[in-house]
Amino acid sequence: MPDWAEPVIRYILQVGLPATLRVSAISVVGATVVGIVLGTLLTLDSVVARILTRGYVEVFRGLPILVTVFMVYFGLPALNPELEFGPLTATAIALILWGSAQVAEATRGAVQSIPREQHEAAAALGFGWVGRHRSVILPQALRRLLPPLVSLLVNIIQNSTLAAVIGGIELLQAGKAQTERLTFYPPAGIGEIHAFEIFGFVALLFFLISFPLTRLAAYLERRLV
Amino acid sequence: MTLAVYDLWAFVSENWRELLDGLVNTIKVSLVAIAGSFVIGLVLGAARARRIPVVSQLTVGYVEIIRNTPILVQIFMIFFALPQAGIRLDAFTVAWVSVTLWGGAFNSENFRAGFEAVPKRYEEGALALGFSSLGTFLNVTLPIGGRIALPSSINTYISVVKNTSLMYVIGYPELTTTAINIANLTLETLEALTVIGIVYLALVWSLSAAIRVLEGRLALPESR
Repeated sequence: MPDWAEPVIRYILQVGLPATLRVSAISVVGATVVGIVLGTLLTLDSVVARILTRGYVEVFRGLPILVTVFMVYFGLPALNPELEFGPLTATAIALILWGSAQVAEATRGAVQSIPREQHEAAAALGFGWVGRHRSVILPQALRRLLPPLVSLLVNIIQNSTLAAVIGGIELLQAGKAQTERLTFYPPAGIGEIHAFEIFGFVALLFFLISFPLTRLAAYLERRLV
Repeated sequence: MTLAVYDLWAFVSENWRELLDGLVNTIKVSLVAIAGSFVIGLVLGAARARRIPVVSQLTVGYVEIIRNTPILVQIFMIFFALPQAGIRLDAFTVAWVSVTLWGGAFNSENFRAGFEAVPKRYEEGALALGFSSLGTFLNVTLPIGGRIALPSSINTYISVVKNTSLMYVIGYPELTTTAINIANLTLETLEALTVIGIVYLALVWSLSAAIRVLEGRLALPESR
């Protein structure tokens, strides 16, 4: 391995990778929690709740995620200076907005795929709406929700690279920073361009994380449906 | 700090020429990429469904690489890394090439699934009637499988349109880049974000509506 590679790899793995994993973990948990609540609201009889939730889902699924990132990162501070977030936090918020819309739609499908009789039987046993969903419907729906949630995780990990656009140091931005550093003259760099090797390494890392997860999603799809 | 007054109308009437140019560029890249990913998807999807040796395996590799790496990394590869190998592309080429490669990979899966969903007995029937292998594909598998694949492939085209916004990172003046650049000069951030939000939603929602119409029109007689 050439001399320049070791510090580059160390920076990408020690600074970039943890940031990508942290943003992804926060986003996927946030998106799942918010999404399941919104998805359940989508199955309500209340027209108002349905219309509001449907609007949220269609807007955040329809917008390019980069535009949502800009809305959080540039738009919120313009509305109120107190709503200023760092690039990584802003990306996580945008990914939660987008991801929860995806989860909501998947949850609606999963809840509606549970036969009506289950609702009626639970109601007959004296469960209220909340108890019926918590104890009977959601536990069954969650099984069907598992494959889309794993796919969501893959998408969120990949889309966490959007932080690079607004300067958040995650895997891709760490690679970009190192590529630029190497082009400087010594002592900072070596005056050479190694974009191919460095972005190739970043791509490889993403592949190593995503590939097992996409296999897992496909496996769960076959097993659980 | 003086708070600018939110005035969407003033923003649009002062900058509509640039914004329109940006929208035209977005549509230009989208149309080229949609056409490209249609062709790639059709050819490679057919190769996969027919299990044509070598092409089939190469397609699997291509699809897995595209699916399992972020599109932004792919754009960086084409824009920053290819010049190292002496291949220097202008921003428009990078824009359509990267989204076409991305859309083509996803679309080949859509078409593969569509072609594989065509009942075997239809193809056997065509062969028994004396159609050649290619004739069977063109007259039976393509019209039926293509219709099955249509909704999911339009979903891929919708993602292609949305992904053109990523060309912001290479400075290609499509809608997002144009609007954010104007906002950087005039500080009309909220107006710029409103405009791009409305335009993207209009594009995406009309394509989704097209899916629903087409789904009804092109549904196979059996499933109607």
